[in-house]
Amino acid sequence: MDSTAALPAKAGPHTPHRARTAGNPAALPVVLGLPVLVWQVVFFLAPLVFLIVITFWQVRSFRLEPAFVLDNWERVLGAGTFHMALWHTLKVAATNTVLALLLAFPAAYTIALRLPQRQRDLAVAMLVVPVFSSYMLRIYAWQVVLSPEGMVNTALSAVGIGPLPLLGGAFSLQVGLLTLTLPIAVLILTFALSGVDPVLVEAAENLGYRRSRVVLHVLIPAIKPAITLAATTTFLLAFGDYISPLFMTGSKPPTLSILIVDTVKSGSQWPRASVIGVSMLAVLALVFGLGRWFASRGAK
Amino acid sequence: MTDPLLPPRKSRRHFLKTGAALGATGLGVGSALLPRDADAADPKVLNYLAWPGNADPYVVGEFEKEHGVKIRIKEYVGGDQMMAVVNQSPPGTYDVVLADAEYMHLLKAADFIEPLNPADYALKDFWPEFQKFPLHWFDGKLYGVMIDFGYLGISYNTKAFTAKEVSSYSVLWSEKAKGKVGFFDWYLPSMGCISLSNGNRPPYDLDKAKFEGLKKKLFSLKPQASGFYTIADIFSSMTNGRALLIPGIGEWITLGLRMSGVPVDTIIPEEGGIQYTESLSIVKGTTKRDLARKFIQYTISPRGQVAMATKVDNRKSIPSMAGWKLLNETKPKEAEILRMTLKGPNVMDEYKQKKIQLRQLPQKQSIEDWNDVWSQFKAL
Repeated sequence: MDSTAALPAKAGPHTPHRARTAGNPAALPVVLGLPVLVWQVVFFLAPLVFLIVITFWQVRSFRLEPAFVLDNWERVLGAGTFHMALWHTLKVAATNTVLALLLAFPAAYTIALRLPQRQRDLAVAMLVVPVFSSYMLRIYAWQVVLSPEGMVNTALSAVGIGPLPLLGGAFSLQVGLLTLTLPIAVLILTFALSGVDPVLVEAAENLGYRRSRVVLHVLIPAIKPAITLAATTTFLLAFGDYISPLFMTGSKPPTLSILIVDTVKSGSQWPRASVIGVSMLAVLALVFGLGRWFASRGAK
Repeated sequence: MTDPLLPPRKSRRHFLKTGAALGATGLGVGSALLPRDADAADPKVLNYLAWPGNADPYVVGEFEKEHGVKIRIKEYVGGDQMMAVVNQSPPGTYDVVLADAEYMHLLKAADFIEPLNPADYALKDFWPEFQKFPLHWFDGKLYGVMIDFGYLGISYNTKAFTAKEVSSYSVLWSEKAKGKVGFFDWYLPSMGCISLSNGNRPPYDLDKAKFEGLKKKLFSLKPQASGFYTIADIFSSMTNGRALLIPGIGEWITLGLRMSGVPVDTIIPEEGGIQYTESLSIVKGTTKRDLARKFIQYTISPRGQVAMATKVDNRKSIPSMAGWKLLNETKPKEAEILRMTLKGPNVMDEYKQKKIQLRQLPQKQSIEDWNDVWSQFKAL
């Protein structure tokens, strides 16, 4: 650092320019980080503060008016529909998180530790593609597959079974949410398992550990932060999703995201919808905090 | 005395100011990112606030060509969304608004629409029942002109149910319908039909006891529900068999599906059906009043009415007898399918039989009260 700082003093005609960049090493991170900071303030922090502020506003004749009333909070937090939607959304997101991890770990283990390099790259590419394809289209495709006259029921009817009520319940909801969350969970765990030192696995095997014990006592502890990351990411995505609850269950029963839309749809009640939104953010912050705490416990 | 639960007045003022400033910043950033309304005042552009599909070239192309103008539509879905747009738009943003009749008094109360001269419009061409439509007149002044209408009853899968079975709303509670009753996810038409099934006429003017009765009746339908659908999902759920019965929708959905080969139909049950109407109004303060008037005149002209009735994606009934006449002359098969033949049974029969009630906003409760009940029903 000192040698770098000393350079400008010896430089010729370019001294002033070099002094601004190389003379103050603290300037570079600020210059590089400033656009991100501005972006976050303008597009995240300010809207977030505004979201909180309008929870105290009022709607009169479909018009949002500044005020300071607690009525929106009292009405939403005291409503049975909110409690039911919150409980339902928590259950759905927690179930999806458990399912995604249970399905993702064996897949990631196989991809990261059992497949040859070339097939591993292909598998990762095939997991990345769905992440960048239209989620909405994938859900419509599931409707075609699972509907009473869809592909599965048509195939089942050929062997005298059904039709089964596959679309419109907890099963189809989890299928829809896994479409969103599973590829991401598999990718996170695959990258984490790829980074595990093979010497650790070999050492455990040399000590006579069976594969199941290697997984439980070596691999899982080694990637605990990644498991936590996969779990929190899955939970966050499932908790806030609107598409699957709407199209895979027909809003039956509504999740918090659907409740937000319903609240705005009739009477333009943006303040009450904002109360639900802020409550959702609080839950997500809590889950994120718990995840970090859980991951950091392992690190110590 | 200061409320101990609230911050001091200075803080509250500060809070409001900060919030308003943040809001203004947010709106400023948002509007800077949105396309500019550069041609809002362009005399060759008619700004039209309407349900989707109403500026389709099939409907307005002839008018645009004839007058050398462009119809620029801002679409909304649902009257509440329309009211929100209206309240958030500066004067002069829109010239004409298409609204469901039950929202007309709110537009009038918001001072958004202006009175029309009845002599400017061919209302005498309308069926007598629609020449002085009650929801369009305030203090003896006309504020909207009806352009189309339709009935809402029960739409059903004709392979699963016969017309006789669905002749009463009681079919919704039948064993056969368990888990197969779909709902249009809008409290107004859906709860209106359930209100009719409970014997309420008119269905939206309910005292406390009747409103509680409606709530109880609605909640008893929960085991029958297959889901709560958006307009797009209604089409798919009726096509793929997720929903075999849907109350509160009508031929505007089933006619197009039936013509595509889906076995569905709509019936107005013996307890009655609900009528929706769409009407055009001139927005107060428009600088293009003359063009707006001509647009309304075109839409209720026989040519405009035939176009409204035969839109591919959304076929509706029209109020103009002159429009019916032209439809029967130029598209007799369509007239038959749309039940708008001048001889024999037609869509006016249900109206004349007094089976039809107007769709209105809740009369004795607030929109929120009804919507809360609807949300509770969904969450059961």
